[in-house]
Amino acid sequence: MSGKEEKEVEISIRDVGVAFCDNAGNHVQALTGVNLDIYKGEFVALLGPSGCGKTTLLRSVCDLQEVTEGEIRISGKTPGEIRLEQKFGFVFQQPVLLSWRTVKKNVELPLEIMYYSKADRSKRADEMLQMVGLSDFADHYPGQLSGGMQQRANIARAFGLRPDILLMDEPFSALDEFTKEKLHMDLLQIWSETNKTILFVTHNIQEAVLLSDRVCVLSPHPGRLSAVVDIDLPRDRTLEMKETAHFNELVSKVRNSFEGGSV
Amino acid sequence: MAQKRKRKKRLYQRIRENKRLQSAETVVLPVMLGIAIFLLWQGGIVHQWFHTDVFTLPLPTKIGSIMGDNIDKILENTFSTVSVAFIGLALGCILGYLFAVLAAVFPRIGSGGLGIIGAFASIPVVALAPVMNNWTRDLSKEASIRSMASKIIVVMLISAANMSLNAYRGLTEVKPFSEDLMAIYTTKKRVVLWKLRIPNSLPYVFIALKVAVPSSIMTAIVSEYFAEYITGVGRQIRENIVLAQYATAWAYIATACIIGVAAYVLLMVIQGLTLRRYH
Repeated sequence: MSGKEEKEVEISIRDVGVAFCDNAGNHVQALTGVNLDIYKGEFVALLGPSGCGKTTLLRSVCDLQEVTEGEIRISGKTPGEIRLEQKFGFVFQQPVLLSWRTVKKNVELPLEIMYYSKADRSKRADEMLQMVGLSDFADHYPGQLSGGMQQRANIARAFGLRPDILLMDEPFSALDEFTKEKLHMDLLQIWSETNKTILFVTHNIQEAVLLSDRVCVLSPHPGRLSAVVDIDLPRDRTLEMKETAHFNELVSKVRNSFEGGSV
Repeated sequence: MAQKRKRKKRLYQRIRENKRLQSAETVVLPVMLGIAIFLLWQGGIVHQWFHTDVFTLPLPTKIGSIMGDNIDKILENTFSTVSVAFIGLALGCILGYLFAVLAAVFPRIGSGGLGIIGAFASIPVVALAPVMNNWTRDLSKEASIRSMASKIIVVMLISAANMSLNAYRGLTEVKPFSEDLMAIYTTKKRVVLWKLRIPNSLPYVFIALKVAVPSSIMTAIVSEYFAEYITGVGRQIRENIVLAQYATAWAYIATACIIGVAAYVLLMVIQGLTLRRYH
């Protein structure tokens, strides 16, 4: 990791709170008083148990959720403005692939929406599929793919528009351990090649420590940022690091930083 | 004894698990049932069960020979019924689908409108047909045209209701997060409709058609009963029963069955070709 003074703040989250009414009409304070700066090209994990507001924070950053207190600025602009500039990529929990389109056509979807020419779309989609190792499955339909391959296609689609900021909402939580480890390494590889800013929501401590530069620990009731842990493991990360003493120290450090001790 | 039963079960299981036999079974069993009914009917056993005679319930061979003798007239009436059913179905489905699109794009107006459409779907044909006869009275001087229009409108209303309710579901019940996905790319409403909602609604359109196709034929047949102009398979059933020509009436009943089954088979083929890509 390079020195802090060289880093440029990309996403600035100031005193952010989110409140809404749930279906029963109850007032819910999903998040309160969150302050966080995310640097350009940084890999940040948002970690916490269910109901701590980590997904809400992620959705607020890309303007899918309205912020009720404080403000979020991305390179000086509001999330809404950045969304209009189409600078976000979002990987959802489930691979939201359209079942009537081939894998390639799914990857091309955002490019179609942006009126890219047919040749450009095809070329870009081929590159992305190559990147996630799905070139041989370009003409398959999503229903013919395994869960891991579907999630790869999902990632390929998110990278297709070359977004500045990639938001990932528990993208691997539904996958088996083998697929997950493979995709962890793939994601880090793609990240180091493309140098995007990644905000990665997870409830898995090991996953957060293995992947990120910083782990932001959120605690529930109400959702708030309770700690930020720097992960000083060297890049490039490897799966073997998971067995080192330092990795386990970091995992314990993160675990102990949940407010109220354990969750 | 116990061993013998076990072996029997194994054989039974083997038959159950054989894919080829299974698919043959789905064809063979219904055909066997059909043959059984034919034999019971032709053999007069059905007549014994229901205490009736071959005059009221003619033998299948008799019905068949009457169909052969009157083939020209039957085809003419079939054409009349099928054209009413098809035109009504097509207009109704287009109308219903357009309404569903409007409801999906403007949900506030749409959800209320769909309730009214739902009420239409529950109006019985026997109530709707005479009303439509009245409404179309001044449409044309030709009784045949007046009647046809009236019948088409009844079929149209019934099909439109069915289509709009199903299509609305298909247009709105999209995969979780897919609307968020579109929002991330600030997709225009028009593009969301075109790229997400309409393709998503296609399987639902076929769900609607599976009900609408048979019901359009049934509706056409029932509205013929009330029509001013005497034509169509349904009307011929009625006319022949009135004249106590039961064998001819049965020939038209058989024709109605053939039309219904043929239309359904055609629909299944079209569905198979269209939804090939949907998994």
